[in-house]
Amino acid sequence: MTSLLSVKNLSVFYGASAQAVENVSFEVSPGKVTALLGANGAGKSSIMKAVGGLIPARGEIIFDGAPISHFPVRERVRRGIVYVPERREIVGELSVRENLVLGGYQISAAERRNRIALVLDLFPEIASKVDRGAWRLSGGEQQMLAIGRGLMSGPRLLLLDEPSLGLAPLLVRRVFERLGAIRSAGELAIVLVEQNLRMTMRLCDELHFLRSGRIVGHKRADELKDETARQQAVDAYLGATESEPRLETA
Amino acid sequence: MSAAYHILLDIFPLLWSGLITGCLYALGALGLVMIFKSSRVVNFSHGNVAGLAAFLIYGFSSGTLLTLSWSAAVLMAVVAVIAIAFLSYAIVAPIMAKSDLTATIATLSLGLIAQGVTLLVFGADIVPLDLPLPRFSASLLGLRITGYDLTVLAVAVATIVGLFLVIDYTKLGVAFRAISANPIAAEICGLNLRSVHLFAWTVSAVLGVIGALLIVPTTFLSVTTVATFMLQAFAAAVLGGFSSLPGALVGGIAIGILMNLFTFYVSPEFTNTFLLVVILVALNVFPNGIFASTGGTRV
Repeated sequence: MTSLLSVKNLSVFYGASAQAVENVSFEVSPGKVTALLGANGAGKSSIMKAVGGLIPARGEIIFDGAPISHFPVRERVRRGIVYVPERREIVGELSVRENLVLGGYQISAAERRNRIALVLDLFPEIASKVDRGAWRLSGGEQQMLAIGRGLMSGPRLLLLDEPSLGLAPLLVRRVFERLGAIRSAGELAIVLVEQNLRMTMRLCDELHFLRSGRIVGHKRADELKDETARQQAVDAYLGATESEPRLETA
Repeated sequence: MSAAYHILLDIFPLLWSGLITGCLYALGALGLVMIFKSSRVVNFSHGNVAGLAAFLIYGFSSGTLLTLSWSAAVLMAVVAVIAIAFLSYAIVAPIMAKSDLTATIATLSLGLIAQGVTLLVFGADIVPLDLPLPRFSASLLGLRITGYDLTVLAVAVATIVGLFLVIDYTKLGVAFRAISANPIAAEICGLNLRSVHLFAWTVSAVLGVIGALLIVPTTFLSVTTVATFMLQAFAAAVLGGFSSLPGALVGGIAIGILMNLFTFYVSPEFTNTFLLVVILVALNVFPNGIFASTGGTRV
């Protein structure tokens, strides 16, 4: 299958010498979910931001056959790449509806209305609060709003950065259920950064393991069906040092 | 009873004229706040550019530069200040990316350049700038209401209501508020931050022209007239918290009324000193402005 996203030799630097990502390469197929797994500081979020255009990077990023490394964020959004950051970045001062309008800023008014209805169908938790200030939403609702806002422009690739961060287990399950529904609904590809391996396994097709800014391993999801295989993969690729906490495999 | 009656007779006209001048301060303050909210820059060139615009209207309508009708002169001046706003933003934007404070200082330079250009083209003399305002006055409940008062009120209300409608109910307004509150969120949604900044700089420039035009009939037009007026607008913005549009409106009216009361009851010579004291008190008592938000971002 032709890749939707092809990342080749991606490197990210902070300042002159701090290298967060080193020569990372991976591909994402249309409609597939690719997970990037690794401990804190492994470079997962840096990769996401680089693909989304929020930070400069070296290397090649090819989307739908065209190099996009030189494009600003808004052009990448227009082409169908949307980044949902780990801190959600909801605009608390706007209402829930206005946050969704913001997500669909580049589409026509009619299309925006349709998409708002679709997002509210997908996330009924926020539908009843659509005209409230977004700052009044709970953490889980804010995460749903962030994902919903990400879907507003009709992306072809969603970059989801730690959607379970800071959420109670029940809410994590709910968020992942909705992600499953989004996934099965169409051709949307997702790159998912997560520390919750068990939840990630429910969604993803491919897994890349990152350590110290490099991809150190790759598995297909069907290779990691049982708990033992998952733990072995985590131990083999990521290790379990004191400075790099283990992934949540349960 | 009689003393209270006389005080009331004094106070109502003071409140009325304070409201009128306050509306003008509010227009100036709104311009400052629009830029600060979107770009995090205090635009110290606001007054001098607005002053240049007033001189341009004079120059275009008096035969000094051109001999145009008054409305054509206003239109030309508005086009000129919008061009200046674009140019100012083009100069300040790269500095903004590095430091908001440095960008703010840069606007001081832009203001001085605007003042220099005004001096160079029009000289240091005071010039007359009459507006085609309805000339009438009427008495109502002891107040003397003039055509000028009603014009200021109507223009200010129409401008402010129009601005608030755009900010609250349009897609552009959502973008403006998003960029003000969370530029990262706005960027990841694919907004063109520069075009929203330019919207704010353009609106601010036009508000400055409106404010300058309406303040001139109460005084005279010199190189420093409008810049001095903008000191009051600055105080109004500070009182309102500098990042609240309703705060700027209320701050402008409050400053207008307070200055009138001070001038009448205390001293007309120390009104600017009083103004600076108001700014200092406001910064200490209401560091986030009188309309400080009680809401916040829940994480």
